[in-house]
Amino acid sequence: MRLGVGIFGMQSVPQRPDHHVKLYRDVLEDAELAEELGFDSIWLSEHHFWFDGYCPADLPVAGAILGRTTRLGVGTAVMLLPMHPVQKVADDATTLSRLGEGRLSLGVALGYRDAEFDGFGVQRKDRGKLMDGMLPRLAESCRAAAPPVPLYVGVASAIAAQRAARLGLPLFADSTMNPQELREMLAAYNAAAAAAGVSSPHAHALQRDVFVTDDRERDWAMLLPELRYMRRQYGGWSFPQEPDETVPSYLGRLESDIEAKLKNLIMGDGAHVTARLREFEELGFDLIVCRSQFGNLPRESLHRAFEGLSRVRGDLAHWPGARRAPLT
Amino acid sequence: MAGRAQGASHMKLGLGPIDLKGATRSRLESLGAQAVASSFDAVWVSESRAEGVGGGLASAAMLGQAVPIRVGAAVDAGLYHPLHLAEDIAIADLTSQGRVEVLLRFATTGASRYREPDQHGWFEEFLGVMAAALSGAHFQWNGEHLRVPARLSANQPAPERLALNPRAAQPAVPIWVEAPGESLEALARDLGFGIAAHFKPGAAVPARTGRWPGMVLCRANADPNDLLAAAGESAGYFLIAAETRQEAASAGKRLAGPMRMPDFPEWIGHE
Repeated sequence: MRLGVGIFGMQSVPQRPDHHVKLYRDVLEDAELAEELGFDSIWLSEHHFWFDGYCPADLPVAGAILGRTTRLGVGTAVMLLPMHPVQKVADDATTLSRLGEGRLSLGVALGYRDAEFDGFGVQRKDRGKLMDGMLPRLAESCRAAAPPVPLYVGVASAIAAQRAARLGLPLFADSTMNPQELREMLAAYNAAAAAAGVSSPHAHALQRDVFVTDDRERDWAMLLPELRYMRRQYGGWSFPQEPDETVPSYLGRLESDIEAKLKNLIMGDGAHVTARLREFEELGFDLIVCRSQFGNLPRESLHRAFEGLSRVRGDLAHWPGARRAPLT
Repeated sequence: MAGRAQGASHMKLGLGPIDLKGATRSRLESLGAQAVASSFDAVWVSESRAEGVGGGLASAAMLGQAVPIRVGAAVDAGLYHPLHLAEDIAIADLTSQGRVEVLLRFATTGASRYREPDQHGWFEEFLGVMAAALSGAHFQWNGEHLRVPARLSANQPAPERLALNPRAAQPAVPIWVEAPGESLEALARDLGFGIAAHFKPGAAVPARTGRWPGMVLCRANADPNDLLAAAGESAGYFLIAAETRQEAASAGKRLAGPMRMPDFPEWIGHE
């Protein structure tokens, strides 16, 4: 199993504001550390027009990381494809894959925030239709690139998984899905691939919130405000207020959702995290992108988590029982 | 030398743009290293989207990690939404800690891979929206081709204005425009962008716009006397399109001294 680290958006969050010049310098240093620690890859994500300056353009950052490193893979987790001109993405990725000697991967997904679609003159309700048109074109370009660009489809639902299945593209499963939801989604994926007569990829990628710690109490106190910020800001966009819902009722519902999603965090010492990650390998995920960066964590905390995760990576690599179950 | 007594004290020299078609990391880094060794102010790359070669700004961001000097990207403008280009510029600039420069070429061929054939006024609106976005201010644009934010009824109500966030590292990213017509050139000047042109014997360097000198794209074997004559009393930014390390080294040796230092002694280092 391969372990990637992320997910970097270079946000300047209210609880720890930093100048973006520093944040972009930091992510390049973090990439160097990730390479030194032996991780497979580092992953970036995007949002547009938000007050915390969430990175809106991952490929220039990917280019800088590819220039700073020599072995580490770099991926998008995820690019919000319906907001982008697909020909631009394809042409940019082809060039970067060549310059990066095959180290670029693309994860793409629908996006969900109306204001971002609106900025680019796209109707949010068209995103599925747009994705249906864009994905085959992008997949073809990614296959034709030299070296080819691995393309993953970001999913948080069976419908999105079925879209990927019809094209034979591997999944990049969202961090909010629990093991049961993942099993059901993989079953839907396999059924759709079979119905379309498409051979399924052997394995998929999964995003998980993971924090390796030797002091759970200390790090939980540090992490909780960051996790709540992340879920309230970006999670809240996908959790809109219903038309007839009062604000207090909506906020109560949002907080309940946040509490539920926080339970998906894998947090503990190396042995605990190793055991939990093995469960996902058994499901059919051969790349797990571990999100240990939440917003803008203190540098020493993030690096401690990276170092702990690198020991997990070693344990997983040497696990004699490592095998892959069929995707059923 | 004929041009030495003229106002040549603010000349800038860039190496490139290096064509990204078929380029490898080692070629970019090798030419970048030579640009540094030969005292160029910047090293540039060039995309060509009509041929399917994109990623100019991402490649400049990559090259920026290999060299300490400024990095430039010659990019094809007007092919897609200008907010995407503004975002790419801002982020590439941040990754290089404020060392990015940009040359916008408005593609009149090959655009069909991206969008419908050119419509009157589209390039002007493209430039206007890109400039507004790069300013970092909250803005609204209501044009014939572009409406930003679009405020589409099918979307949930969006803010009346939007802002590019984060902003570039530099207060103003140096941007030059190679305009296909006079009206676009005039607009580019109004917006504070520099003007770029290909070298032609006897033609003057485009006039300075605000902070930016006119840019001239030259061949590797350019003669410093010709370039100084083109600059006349003004400054100029000369991009020297050397293809190999040897060409870059030779161009640097011939041009860097005479172009930057009007009183450069003739007996030093001439080939």
